[in-house]
Amino acid sequence: MKALLKTLQVTALLFSFNAVAASGPLPLPFPAELVERGRYLATASDCMACHTAHKGQPMAGGLVMNSPVGEIVSTNITPSKEHGIGNYTEQQFSDALRKGIRADGAPLYPAMPYTAYAIMTDDDVHAMYAYFMQGVTAVDKGTKATRLPFPMNVRTSMKAWNALFLDEQPLKAEQQRSVQWLRGRYLAEGAAHCSSCHTPRGALMQENKELYLAGAQVGAWYAPNITSHPTAGIGSWTEAELVQYLRTGRVPGKAQAAGSMAEAISMSFSKLHDDDLKAIAAYIKDVPAIGADGGRAAKVSRFGQGKPGNELVALRGKGYQAGMQGQQVGAQLYSANCASCHGADGQGTKDGYYPSLFHNSATVNTSNLLATILLGVDRHTAEGHVFMPPFGKQANALNSLNDEEVAALANYIQAGYGTGVADVKPADVAVIRQGGPQSHLALLAQLGMGLGVLLLIVLLVWLRRRKRS
Amino acid sequence: MSNTTSADVIIVGTGVVGVSIAETLLDAGLSVLMLEAGPRVARAEVVENFRNLPLALKGDPSSCYPPAPWAPHPMPSSDTPENSYLQLSGPDKYAQTFIRYAGGSTWHWAGTCWRLTPEDMRLKTLYGVGRDWAIDYKTLEPYYARTEYALGICGPAEPELQWPPQNATSIVRSKPYPMPPLPFGPGEQRFTEVVKTLGYNNIPTAQARNSGMPYDDRPACCANNNCVPVCPVGAKYDAATALARLEAKGAVITVNAVVYRVETNSANRVEAVQYFDQHKQSHRITGKLFVLACNGIETAKLLLMSASPRNPKGLANSSDQVGRNMMDHPQLTMTLTLAEPFWAGVGPVVNSGIMETSQGAFRSEHAGAYFRFNNFARNRFVTFNALKKGLVGTALDTEIRRMTACTADVVLAHEVLPDPNNRLTLSDKKDWLGLPKPAIHYDVGDYTRKAAEQYSLPIGKRIAEAMGAIDMKISPKFAQSKHIMGSTIMGLDPRDSVVDADCRAHDHENLFLPGGSAMASTACGNSTITMVSLGFKAADAMVRQLRGA
Repeated sequence: MKALLKTLQVTALLFSFNAVAASGPLPLPFPAELVERGRYLATASDCMACHTAHKGQPMAGGLVMNSPVGEIVSTNITPSKEHGIGNYTEQQFSDALRKGIRADGAPLYPAMPYTAYAIMTDDDVHAMYAYFMQGVTAVDKGTKATRLPFPMNVRTSMKAWNALFLDEQPLKAEQQRSVQWLRGRYLAEGAAHCSSCHTPRGALMQENKELYLAGAQVGAWYAPNITSHPTAGIGSWTEAELVQYLRTGRVPGKAQAAGSMAEAISMSFSKLHDDDLKAIAAYIKDVPAIGADGGRAAKVSRFGQGKPGNELVALRGKGYQAGMQGQQVGAQLYSANCASCHGADGQGTKDGYYPSLFHNSATVNTSNLLATILLGVDRHTAEGHVFMPPFGKQANALNSLNDEEVAALANYIQAGYGTGVADVKPADVAVIRQGGPQSHLALLAQLGMGLGVLLLIVLLVWLRRRKRS
Repeated sequence: MSNTTSADVIIVGTGVVGVSIAETLLDAGLSVLMLEAGPRVARAEVVENFRNLPLALKGDPSSCYPPAPWAPHPMPSSDTPENSYLQLSGPDKYAQTFIRYAGGSTWHWAGTCWRLTPEDMRLKTLYGVGRDWAIDYKTLEPYYARTEYALGICGPAEPELQWPPQNATSIVRSKPYPMPPLPFGPGEQRFTEVVKTLGYNNIPTAQARNSGMPYDDRPACCANNNCVPVCPVGAKYDAATALARLEAKGAVITVNAVVYRVETNSANRVEAVQYFDQHKQSHRITGKLFVLACNGIETAKLLLMSASPRNPKGLANSSDQVGRNMMDHPQLTMTLTLAEPFWAGVGPVVNSGIMETSQGAFRSEHAGAYFRFNNFARNRFVTFNALKKGLVGTALDTEIRRMTACTADVVLAHEVLPDPNNRLTLSDKKDWLGLPKPAIHYDVGDYTRKAAEQYSLPIGKRIAEAMGAIDMKISPKFAQSKHIMGSTIMGLDPRDSVVDADCRAHDHENLFLPGGSAMASTACGNSTITMVSLGFKAADAMVRQLRGA
């Protein structure tokens, strides 16, 4: 009987929910133009790249991201009332976006680039709110929770971090600057959050402002120096080349985007207005030059290194196994796995769809070379879908290479087509395969706390002894 | 070696039919164990095997797939009468090639995917020859569409360029091709224009190749023109590209496992299969359903080898049709020297064809034919002739270049009728494991010979003339297209056929023999798309059967 009652209650409850649902959607409060402007700003902010899982529903979260302190899972930011941000007020939305504070008051991890979004104007945040409430389809599905190791799992620790590193000041007025430069700065520093990846971070994962856009490791990939320095940065690029890169993800003979930059190009930059891309390019071209890339002096430009060539004479007529056991393992692997697209001499194709491996910044940086081999390339723009298969352990790997093989291949490419220095070790490959170097932040914090406790004990013992004496 | 000895479904063979069935079953939540006779070899190794071959061997698509001793397969360039795997007899030689590697023979297929037409499946009713199928085109059509999406088959959107021809009375395609066709190279473009003047339509080949875009997490074709013997980048579908995905979905794939016996129980249901590993150790695998998908030769051989007192003529063979009705697409090649350059070799190796010549009322008298401008780059073939002329240096290069441009192969592929006398039996010669080698007697038959004499060669010669041929060599005998069909033929009547419309053996309710061996007619187009479609139909039947529906 009790069970029956309970069933009835539940049924009644369900019906009452249905009754509410059947009363129809609320009247739409925001005008269509505002929602569209919000959509554009959300695109410029590349919300999609992190908040959409591979082949998942837009903005429904669930993407697992490797951070140096552990795996972070992006959240559902559709207007679902139960699983998304459907109950957020505009103020709560604004606080999440610009202050990193959730509706429940808990701080977000700075994997969410709120330190960049902090400079966005009230007007723009209003438009984005309109878009997220009205232009995004609600997905009533939760995501896996983010579980970071102690002490990062204590979200309140982020409050101290914010006090130290969150700059809530609006951008400084720059009277003498052009409207284009100002727009470029607003987009590059805000929505596009270039600095989140391209500026190196300190011990507490804060951006090091002294090294603004001077290059940093982001997971498996390296986001290079994009300051105006002629050799360390992109000072040798024209504004038109920068715009081409942002629109298509490639400038033949210089660079092409992969990893999270390919995502940014696919989902964000390639969809921005020409004027905005030009503004970003104008601003980036003007960023103060820093002569080191990733902390290492870069006297030679990363865009012009290497030359065509092959070592096939050493291999032909002997067979694959002989090649793999001989002195030219890298050349053997290159011929077997890479040459069919990139050419026997690493020259790529004439149209640049398959890039040359010399005169290519991707082969010069070891991280990016290894990540490209292990993870492939996946980029969508109006030019089409650019796809290089991975050579890791994926189900669609064209060939699963082990750490020794990837190291041999990378060294062959570095030696002939890249820097000329072949110093990649299998252990380096293992690091990239695992998603990039891990931060010792968690360990340091734990050690730090351990030290603190130790100090406390010493102090107590000392006090007691003093009392006795 | 895996320790798994049982699964819901045991699949013998990891070729395109086996993996297509496996994925359907895995997606339905069933457990799958696959047994592959041969080894699992990385694409990189096959590619380098090819590159290291002497030029003379590069034209033999088997050369870069050296067989494992325990899993022999035909090697045309090195086989001798003493050591050859297939024991051939009869007026025409059933000289097939196939690859006993994980991934099977799609490793070296061209990727061509012509559907059958409704008429192709009703030869007896319409023309009084051959057999009717147990199913009609309308039943098969959704499975064709499914295959086109599963394998990633590109093809034209224009109805007049599609095959079968789409007109007011035809059965409509349920889905468009998932990708557009590949553009024609200069040779194909010119061939298309030339045959148009004779009233023939050279249409884009539907092919399992990523045309200008990635598909199924594989890259776009970048025109290595190396589809046969191996696509170096995985842009052409081959079953090897699916293996890791199947494993990610839970399949167990055991390689170097040569199944030599299929056991039945007292109810004449299949109980287990037994295999030898590469150390000649025997293993026994049990399951609920069993699939033999190891091509028309190996499947028939295994059924015959599994003869027992309960099934004295072999398994599934109460009709005595196992191993009979061996079919293929007998082909003749016209090698032309042309007055003007055509330039074959830009794009994939097969990219267009004249299919309309395969259809017509004449089929009551003789076979139809399909004409194909082979798009293999010609330098591989013409170099020897240039060398024979005694040329060296620049003169040699110039001659190779000239002949590469100004020669062409036009292939005439024919249908054959199912003939019980074209038969596979067990030879008394033994392979490395001591298992009998297959013996095959073959005669393409008057129906096909008459087509060549009265129909296809006259058309071919007109085409050659229109192309501006100044020299023409025609292959003296029919060659085989390596499209193995017919050895476990499908039919409604268990007395004269081996499997039913779901490729289930009439004699054993839990044994499936899907693929080319079930095909009741060949038509002229390549058989793989039909084999896979039959595989998907069989897989659906297996899911229903295991769910008790």
